[in-house]
Amino acid sequence: MIDEYHGIAPKGDLLLIHKLGEKFNGRSFLHINSTRQGGGVAEILQRMIPLLRDIGINTRWEVLKGDSRFYDITKKIHNALQGNPEKITDDMWDYHYEINRKNSEELDLEADTVLIHDPQPLPLIKFRKNGNWIWRCHIDLSNPEIGVCERMLKYCANYESAIFSMPNFARAMKISEFIIPPSIDPLSEKNRELSDVEIRETLEKFDIPPDRPIILQVSRFDRFKDPVGVIKAYRMVKKYNDCILILAGSPATDDPEGETVLNEVREFAENDPDIYILLLPPFSDRDINALQRAATVVLQKSLKEGFGLTVSEAMWKGKPVIGGATGGIPLQIAHRFTGFLVRTPEGAAFRTRQFLNNPVMLKRMGENGREYVRNNFLITRQVRDYLSVWYAIENKDDTVFEI
Amino acid sequence: MVKPFEFKQCINILKSTGEKAISLRELRKQIASVSDVTIFHHTYQYFMKGHILEYTNDFAQWIGENLEEAALSEQIANIDPYEYSQISELREKLLNVIDEYFDNFPEPRDTLPGSEFYFVETITLIFPSGVKAKNLAEFLIAIRYIDAASIYYHFYEARIRLGSGADDFSKWIKDTLGKNELAENIMGIDPFMHNIEGIREHLEEIIEEEVKKEMESMEI
Repeated sequence: MIDEYHGIAPKGDLLLIHKLGEKFNGRSFLHINSTRQGGGVAEILQRMIPLLRDIGINTRWEVLKGDSRFYDITKKIHNALQGNPEKITDDMWDYHYEINRKNSEELDLEADTVLIHDPQPLPLIKFRKNGNWIWRCHIDLSNPEIGVCERMLKYCANYESAIFSMPNFARAMKISEFIIPPSIDPLSEKNRELSDVEIRETLEKFDIPPDRPIILQVSRFDRFKDPVGVIKAYRMVKKYNDCILILAGSPATDDPEGETVLNEVREFAENDPDIYILLLPPFSDRDINALQRAATVVLQKSLKEGFGLTVSEAMWKGKPVIGGATGGIPLQIAHRFTGFLVRTPEGAAFRTRQFLNNPVMLKRMGENGREYVRNNFLITRQVRDYLSVWYAIENKDDTVFEI
Repeated sequence: MVKPFEFKQCINILKSTGEKAISLRELRKQIASVSDVTIFHHTYQYFMKGHILEYTNDFAQWIGENLEEAALSEQIANIDPYEYSQISELREKLLNVIDEYFDNFPEPRDTLPGSEFYFVETITLIFPSGVKAKNLAEFLIAIRYIDAASIYYHFYEARIRLGSGADDFSKWIKDTLGKNELAENIMGIDPFMHNIEGIREHLEEIIEEEVKKEMESMEI
């Protein structure tokens, strides 16, 4: 299974994964999160667990079971940690803990290393039996509701360490805090190579002409993704260059504003026949893959962003990306090397025109982007990093390790 | 029996220090007090990124891109970390340049929210790349295809690890193969002026020349 990544992932990453696999051979690694399907965490775990098993690590994936009240509470906690004002009462905290306690009676928590994903199962640390416990926080904690954050982080004091996606997501704590960015899987349906026929099928399905330059943004219909700004940029480009614009996104069922924003976008598009607003059902991975491969230029003109992995997805397909200089986007776009960072619709328009008028630069930056993703944002790098953190935790008080 | 050159490589995992700066004043304060590992990461390890950014260390990059103080970022970028054998000397140089700037220019504005400088440190894992070279011809082939991380480890990181400013390649060529002139030529490649791929090209060029000379002088 890990061998499928030979020739795709950097050789050094695969070598280190094998080395660390030998070190941890037969030892146990337990991942716990709150959902088996849906969302980026489950998506990456579905691929990562078999990889870890393949290199000889006894890896299990357990899922926390809760009821609708529990998930309402954890949704509020999640929102508060991302900065939305939410009131979490003592009763709600007690229930959050109680569900974790009940789960601890049913789950097998014995393992050499336990990786707890996100806040829902965080209190399980109270029922630790053995092993190293690490909290993997996938969400943006840079501007949280302080009371909620402090209450959650009290649990962290009992963990060996925490892992955040970016330095600004980390909080001041007394435990080691590692920075491990998320990743994409080059072999998943969303990122695998597609044939020309498969790409054409998707374009035909949405009546998109295959012979005109395509500007694409894939994102939820959310004001922070600035879809209206993207249309403004497209109109500025259109004065000079023939092109079509595709705004593709899934309806966000957990976002009450989604429909309002979608209506705003439709209204702003004014029935322009060259603007394609695509509402894709969940699990449209192959269509998204095909649209990204068919695009000439990809935009991710966010005003606020978590990590923004759609940038890496597009770069992996050799597309230069023009992205908002926010969240994790500047970590992925090296300005003028793998794409451009912009702050305004004017900036997005100017850079898009540069690409449309300079196919050599477009190709060069696209190739740079693919290499940049290969070296930094593939799932093998994330596996490598998790195992490296495990190794570092077991060999404390050092900063350099010779394997 | 010639001791073969064993190619190794390294990776870094970042660790948060919990320290950040929103202004030049705060950046200076933190540079004065953060650990050597942190200074090492933001300066020497910048070369692992392959010179894809405008400046040559994280401090200069942030000052230029976020504080928009181009004059200071030029001065900070011009500090060659490989001139210093101790982190303390490099730290002092950084502080002196910033202090001089404060003496001559108005205080720069704070950075915008979301663009703060985050100080990190690293843990480093070193591992064999599975490639060994017993002679110069094998060494040349290896240089052509080993990972960039291996060139970084032996050519950049070695200068600090060995403490002598020398790199692993020239050391092996001199100590094991006894080729002093070739070693000198390799030591003459300026690490500050090239990215890793540029270093690879220079190494190939210099070593290929030597291998050709060896081949042409062989008696038939």
